[in-house]
Amino acid sequence: MTMTTKRKQQKLSRRDFVKLSAVAGGAAALLGNLPSFAAAVRRAQMAGGGGFFESAPENQIYTVCLQCNTGCGIKVKLLDGIAAKIDGNPYNPWTLWPHPDYETPIQEMATVEGALCPKGQAGIQTAYDPYRLMRVLKRKPGTKRGEGKWITISFDQALHEIVEGGDLFGEGHVDGFRAVRALTDAEVAAEMKSEVDAIWNEKDAEKKKERVEEFKIKFKDYLDTLIDPEHPDLGPKNNQFAFVWGRMKGGREDVVHRFVQESFGSVNMNGHTTVCQGSLYFTGKAMSSKWNEVKGAFDSGDKFYWQADTGNSEFVIYVGTNLFDANYGPPQRVPKATEAVVAGRKFAVIDPRLSKLAAKAWKWIPIKPGTDAAFALGLIRWMLENGRFNQSYLAIANQAAATQAGEPNFTNASWLVKIKDGVPGKHLRASELGLLTAQTIKKEGQEVTVYVDAEGVEYPGDTPVALVNGVPTPINVLNPEAAPVIGDLFIDQTLGDFEVKDGMQILLESAQEHTISEWAEIAGVKEEDMILLAQEFTSHGRKAAADIHRGPSQHTNGFYNNNAWYIVNLLIGNFDYAGGMIKASTYDRKGSKKGQPFPVMSMFGEHHFTPFGLDILRTKTTYEKSTLFDGTYPTKRPWFPIATDIYQEDIPSIGDAYPYPIKILMIYMSSLPYSLPGGQKVIEILADPQKLPLFIASDIMAGEASMYADYIFPDLSYLERWEFHGSHPSVPWKVENVRNPAISLPDWPTVKVWGEEIPMCFEAVFLAIAEKLGLPGFGPNGFGEGIPYIRPEDFYLKQVADIAFGEKEDGSDSVPEADDEEVRIFLEARRHLPKSVFDAEKWKAAVGNDESLWRKVIYVLNRGGRYESFEKGYKGDKVAHPYGRLINLYQEKTATSINTMTGKPFVGYTAYIPAGLSSIGEEIKSDGDDLHLVTFKTMTMAKARGISNYWTLSVLPQGHLFINAQDAARLGIKDGDRVRISSTSNPEGVYDLQNGQKHPMIGTAKVIQGIRPGVVAFPLGFGHWSSGAADLEIDGELIKGDPRRATPLMANGAMQLDPYMGNVTLSDLAGGSAVFYDSKVKVERV
Amino acid sequence: MLKKLAYAFGTLALLVGAWGFYDRFAHGHENADYGSYVVWGLWVAMYLFFAGTAAGGFMIATLDHLFHLPLFKGVGRLALWGALVSLGAGLFSIWLDLGHLERVWKVYLQGNPGSVMFQMVWGYTLFGLIIAVSLFLAIKKPDSPWLRVLMGLGLGVALFVSGAVGALLGVNAARPFWHVGLFPVQFPVFSLASGAAMLLLILGLFAPRDDPQREQQLWVLGLLSVALLVVKLYFMWADYSQSIYGGIPMNVDAVNQVLFGKYWWAFWILQILIGSLIPLIVLVQPKLARHNGWAGWMGLLLLAGYAVARGLIIFPGLSVPELEQLTSSFGGPHLTFDYFPSLMEWAVTLGTIGLAVLGFLLGTEYLPLYAKELEA
Amino acid sequence: MEEVEETAGLLQKYASQVFAGLVAPALEGVQAVRATIEDVLAKEDVLLRMQEDLKRALEKPAAERRWVMVIDLRRCIGCHACTIACVAENNLPPGVVYRPVLSEEFGTYPNVTMRFLPRPCMQCDNPPCVPVCPVYATYKNEEGVVVVEYDQCIGCRYCITACPYAARTFDFGLTYLDETPEGDDLVLGRSRADEYERVGAFEYGELRRRKDRKTSPVGNVRKCHFCLHRLAEGMLPACVTTCIGRATYFGDANDPESLVADLIASPNVMRLKEDLGTEPRVYYLM
Ligand SMILES: Nc1nc2c(c(=O)[nH]1)N[C@H]1C(S)=C(S)[C@@H](COP(=O)(O)OP(=O)(O)OC[C@H]3O[C@@H](n4cnc5c(=O)[nH]c(N)nc54)[C@H](O)[C@@H]3O)O[C@H]1N2
Ligand SMILES: Nc1nc2c(c(=O)[nH]1)N[C@H]1C(S)=C(S)[C@@H](COP(=O)(O)OP(=O)(O)OC[C@H]3O[C@@H](n4cnc5c(=O)[nH]c(N)nc54)[C@H](O)[C@@H]3O)O[C@H]1N2
Ligand code: SF4
Ligand code: SF4
Ligand code: SF4
Ligand code: SF4
Ligand code: SF4
Ligand SMILES: [Mo]
Repeated sequence: MTMTTKRKQQKLSRRDFVKLSAVAGGAAALLGNLPSFAAAVRRAQMAGGGGFFESAPENQIYTVCLQCNTGCGIKVKLLDGIAAKIDGNPYNPWTLWPHPDYETPIQEMATVEGALCPKGQAGIQTAYDPYRLMRVLKRKPGTKRGEGKWITISFDQALHEIVEGGDLFGEGHVDGFRAVRALTDAEVAAEMKSEVDAIWNEKDAEKKKERVEEFKIKFKDYLDTLIDPEHPDLGPKNNQFAFVWGRMKGGREDVVHRFVQESFGSVNMNGHTTVCQGSLYFTGKAMSSKWNEVKGAFDSGDKFYWQADTGNSEFVIYVGTNLFDANYGPPQRVPKATEAVVAGRKFAVIDPRLSKLAAKAWKWIPIKPGTDAAFALGLIRWMLENGRFNQSYLAIANQAAATQAGEPNFTNASWLVKIKDGVPGKHLRASELGLLTAQTIKKEGQEVTVYVDAEGVEYPGDTPVALVNGVPTPINVLNPEAAPVIGDLFIDQTLGDFEVKDGMQILLESAQEHTISEWAEIAGVKEEDMILLAQEFTSHGRKAAADIHRGPSQHTNGFYNNNAWYIVNLLIGNFDYAGGMIKASTYDRKGSKKGQPFPVMSMFGEHHFTPFGLDILRTKTTYEKSTLFDGTYPTKRPWFPIATDIYQEDIPSIGDAYPYPIKILMIYMSSLPYSLPGGQKVIEILADPQKLPLFIASDIMAGEASMYADYIFPDLSYLERWEFHGSHPSVPWKVENVRNPAISLPDWPTVKVWGEEIPMCFEAVFLAIAEKLGLPGFGPNGFGEGIPYIRPEDFYLKQVADIAFGEKEDGSDSVPEADDEEVRIFLEARRHLPKSVFDAEKWKAAVGNDESLWRKVIYVLNRGGRYESFEKGYKGDKVAHPYGRLINLYQEKTATSINTMTGKPFVGYTAYIPAGLSSIGEEIKSDGDDLHLVTFKTMTMAKARGISNYWTLSVLPQGHLFINAQDAARLGIKDGDRVRISSTSNPEGVYDLQNGQKHPMIGTAKVIQGIRPGVVAFPLGFGHWSSGAADLEIDGELIKGDPRRATPLMANGAMQLDPYMGNVTLSDLAGGSAVFYDSKVKVERV
Repeated sequence: MLKKLAYAFGTLALLVGAWGFYDRFAHGHENADYGSYVVWGLWVAMYLFFAGTAAGGFMIATLDHLFHLPLFKGVGRLALWGALVSLGAGLFSIWLDLGHLERVWKVYLQGNPGSVMFQMVWGYTLFGLIIAVSLFLAIKKPDSPWLRVLMGLGLGVALFVSGAVGALLGVNAARPFWHVGLFPVQFPVFSLASGAAMLLLILGLFAPRDDPQREQQLWVLGLLSVALLVVKLYFMWADYSQSIYGGIPMNVDAVNQVLFGKYWWAFWILQILIGSLIPLIVLVQPKLARHNGWAGWMGLLLLAGYAVARGLIIFPGLSVPELEQLTSSFGGPHLTFDYFPSLMEWAVTLGTIGLAVLGFLLGTEYLPLYAKELEA
Repeated sequence: MEEVEETAGLLQKYASQVFAGLVAPALEGVQAVRATIEDVLAKEDVLLRMQEDLKRALEKPAAERRWVMVIDLRRCIGCHACTIACVAENNLPPGVVYRPVLSEEFGTYPNVTMRFLPRPCMQCDNPPCVPVCPVYATYKNEEGVVVVEYDQCIGCRYCITACPYAARTFDFGLTYLDETPEGDDLVLGRSRADEYERVGAFEYGELRRRKDRKTSPVGNVRKCHFCLHRLAEGMLPACVTTCIGRATYFGDANDPESLVADLIASPNVMRLKEDLGTEPRVYYLM
């Protein structure tokens, strides 16, 4: 308090001075004695100091941006409780480089701020958007979905309707949550699950059938709770509730997991990964699949990916990485890249578009879209044939050898692979050569199978094999104490009755399928450039990296493009090295580490529900294991053995009721029809109550998806809510960003749930459904006896506490306690928040009223998260938090997974597969449409969400169609002409909104030089038909749309549909990606 | 008859203007089309025009009250009154153009003598006083020696202020289109020209017809106008050719805009055809030039032409970006280089003209302005 | 497809063309600044270094400071963060902008690149905008910043016509949410949402609410003021702190220790429209 009052005084005195000088000056002026007058006022004005709200810590709340998904730390500066300015959180490694010490007192940081991108600066306009919803909206009975006619109903009424169902719209009966949650007995569910697993693991078809029959007998009293008793592995009717989200971060994600799976009991919850950079994640997953030494086989890997350590690389090849306009993200990666520019450190950009990054690059390679793997294989061939790769690293075959060599990780490059009819399959197992033999021995009183070699050395299981100086050698993969194995490379021979090659040989052969000039030809680039890049890339030891993102990823061959580029990196062994390829690491927010105060994920009152059965995306098991398997291919829709969260499949699967119908869909922060290629097909299904009986949305406005919902529940914007934003791979430090309420909107409605008054928000819906259905995991004993989960922050503050405590059991890793001054500032900075949002007692209670823990929580919240200190990010020439284990240069798991559209296994090695093939692997004819459509992000726009930011719209009011001058001339298109985009998939070039309106794909042409001829591109974020762009009618009142939000262009609707399924975009069946860059379109003047 | 028509016109104009004035006072500059790139619009142009006309009118008046040319005996008071009204209209236009018109006093009490704007405001205020007093004397004590002194002084001021108008624009190094050699010098000539035109209009259409000298006066004024018109056209040619050959991109752009660009019609049709050629042709023909009606209407055309000419000096000078890509870098209301006066601006201008016309007519009713009346 | 030239070379080739009429091209000695910037970054974020510089400067009498801004065009990525940060910091209404970023493409495929040019007020040492003001409402303050005294300005806009850099714009009294619906409690609606526009700005160290469409700064000419109100608090200008390219530098050129003093000494420095003799205090590095 002292501080602020002092400021007030200063201010007053200054004011008086102004008055005085004005009077004096006025007089003086009349005497014509001007300069002194002016000077006086000037001095007064520049006296400054007093009362600048931005500089007082009591007017600042540290939280996290969500304008785009980079999640930069921000500092919200408040004036009269209004967010008046947003700047970068100086503690946060995203906004300052290097970032200052985490333990700097916040008073000292009050006038320090980091950098934000324009969207971050404009975030205020996302929160204070006049089109923000404040009431629960119900589709006006008698009107069709998408008509934009709504009635407001009370939260309680809405809850009653969606839970109990009934004839809600005069269109006949609709099942509510109560009816859909047919199976309520957690024990039965658990038993059923194990039976279903047994069915899936039964290899013999006949026996499978028998098991199904047994199942039906065993659970005869519960058959009506199943979707289809003939196919018990579809799971209970509970699965007919699906929850789909677009952008969701930690915290809320954890709550969703609790609600959907463990409380409600549905397996169907998935995110938007595949519309984003899906194949990038799932290439990472495949390359990280873990060796299970007991099974002697691979378990699946982690859903994650690597990025270049931008700041320390001496040379980077950015492949389809839009660093200066998008990516993860501008404030964090840009300064490092621009420093490279002035410091003369080279980087190259491979992109069909002259991105801003390319404009600053040493070389811009305008590649032919979809041929990234070809370019990479050209590099690989050159590197292998010129011996410019890290032989000694790649020869390391197990952890023991890696430890010995001081390498942070190792690969399976030298592991032998069995070749059947020329096709690489599984790794050769030691037992197959008789190198190891299985023995059952007693260990700690119980029988276990171990494998033993000639010398009697024990192995926990069967192992892969490498040649060591020609001698076949079993590889104890994981045990650092085991015998180090340094394998021979480039093996092509027969061992016993096996034809074997090692990963490197397979890679070499794949790279040699074409000469370098042929690879260049395929990629539409110059051979010299390819070689130049190869030379440069291999001239910096491990301080070079190839950074990939959506560009290579969002193709039908995305998985293989990404893999090829990761392999380029792997060949110089730059993983886990400073300046090489690195991964993200975050503080445990789930309390899964020993000693952490709140193991939130497992703190569960009554024991939780075990969801089971096949998910609508067909990712939880394989076609061949399921009871739907009838030996025929292709399946109606693809199954996904590698990828998950196949966003583009959600709605079409519901439309086709494959594998089963969905009765209730709830979406969160998603704009499916807008964000997905071929979105017009999504609309057709969403608009049809026959296909989707009940459709609920959580949104902050009537968005492109929620406009089709039956109910929209208003949510809090990112400046008003909780979330844990996590990190990104290019950030080496261990961090966690904590999004927490910085403002509360004027008159924001509250609701009463579990007797608590909380703001209208996403969490309120779950809490209320749980209350109505009496679901486990919520309520007064939601976290266990006497530990309530009745307010949103009951969950999140426990997670903050876990983060504050850190990951060491003895608590030595915890943050300091906030001192009294910091506590005072914490409280005062939140003086504008209503009790329903911030109530110090209730917050403290959420962390068990533990004073010490509470002060640590405050310490973290005062800094908007937790950030490891700068020096801790690296250890010598390596990163401090390495990936640190096996990297699969060859992917056995992939090679043994079946593509259910072709019936053939996926390719398990780095290969070039042409882009743009249909799901059944056929080429797609595009008659006459000769322009290749791609898309990109532009700095001032974020997703469907940026359109409410009028400030940034002043910089870029519309999205153009960028076209090369050569093509423009050919088509008689001049800069500024209006052009229509159409395609064989969308001949009319419109979105049929299914409400009587058609939204044309007509935009303004921007004729430029900086794009590969034959390619046209448009930026994401414009061309809205909702989100404030269209009129709404609520309770009969017209709410006019804003023409500024309706400017063109959105052309996802012109993108290629899969000819076999017809109602979905092309997909990468291995990596899961929705395909954005493999479409041919027609562009014509209108 | 004509008078009635003029009254009708004036009243109508004022009615339309009333709405304009309301909008201007209620909504400030919101509904104006000028902005931060074309900062000065119709009103500033009208100000230049009216003020110039005032100066010109005064110069003409000196023919009577300073130089005592027998031919122009008696027209002095008319000219003075015209000048006074015109000046009022001019200052009113520019006042409405201010962002904070309530602060106009600052220019007097806290002004910056170094600013041409300051000099103009003070200059015109002084000028206004001189006109008023001269008129007073011319009516009450036509023979007072003071009248002559004042007229002499006023002539100087008139020359100065109309020069200042040129300087106002001319000193702008930032605006090459204005920043050309002869620029300031031209304005006194413009003024005189419009003064002559104004008198043609007044004498031709409104003055009593029975003055024996009238035909001769009209003929001489006509010739004077023609001469000035020619000079004016010469200046214009000088500017444009200078600009084009000088090759400064901004200038070439500006000139192109006028000759072939968005202002072509204003230039070729209004300024050249209607405002210059037709009057030229008519006024060199003694028969027509001597005829009240013809002369008067030509005066009107000439005035219209000069008004347009003012606009064509202001807008093009401003509607060329100082930096390319300015508009593509940040957009918004009032951030454009295309200017066309908004309805509100037209209305206000019309209203101002209306006021001027009515004011003038009323003067002719209640003030003894014509030679005859005095003798009586 | 012809050989793709190195962008650096390309810049050399086209620079003069890009800046035709804007600047005197000076491209030699790129090395010179390299060192500086790199070293600084090695130690601490250049933003923090500049804030240290700032603190030193504030200890001196105002008259002895020489605020300058240096913009490294090689590092500017045309992100417009500075533009928007400025709009937000000063709560600028529609049509008012202090720091647009001009961008253009040049060259022909495949030898093509882009250039971005942020344009704050140049704070000219010989400012054409000042002498033309009839009421002393705009002048160079003792720190060398050209300020506008909102309560003195009569809104004649003469200064706008005088500025060769179009660095001044007029406040017409609009707000960004003017046209948006009231929503009658069904949605947030304009008069709840536009609170952030009405709450005002702190330009020149004085909080001015935007309660109506008449009160200054409405009806005034507005311009970049080097964020004097932030400087007074030891904070860097908003466009500087938010520059994600770390392309904008600020400080006291009279302080030989300051980063900007180093930078403006480098040979590849230039200023816009040097020929007009306006003596800008904003320097560009090529
Ligand atoms: N401004 C802004 N930033 C954002 C976001 C945003 O919405 N706006 N979103 C965030 C999110 S969610 C994500 S996923 C990231 C995405 O980050 P990025 O993937 O880096 O950004 P995009 O613009 O999607 O990148 C696509 C780039 O690939 C190029 N490209 C297209 N086809 C090909 C091809 O066949 N080969 C190659 N090599 N390149 C190709 C495009 O021209 C474009 O430059 O951005 C994040 N940052
Ligand atoms: N043409 C083109 N299309 C693209 C891309 C591209 O580069 N080009 N990029 C793709 C990428 S990378 C991604 S990640 C996807 C993203 O696409 P989606 O995952 O579908 O998400 P958004 O487009 O961000 O839409 C989010 C919607 O949620 C609502 N919303 C906004 N804020 C909130 C909130 O705080 N709470 C709630 N409950 N709802 C909110 C709004 O209605 C908004 O439309 O777009 C993809 N689409
Ligand atoms: S990069 Fe994304 S998260 Fe960071 S400030 Fe910009 S919009 Fe916000
Ligand atoms: S840039 Fe323009 S506004 Fe700024 S000081 Fe120079 S002339 Fe004045
Ligand atoms: S607009 Fe204001 S600052 Fe500019 S010249 Fe006129 S009075 Fe001076
Ligand atoms: S210094 Fe301040 S006022 Fe000037 S452009 Fe930067 S942010 Fe805007
Ligand atoms: S913020 Fe920095 S990088 Fe971005 S446009 Fe402005 S100056 Fe350039
Ligand atoms: Mo994404």
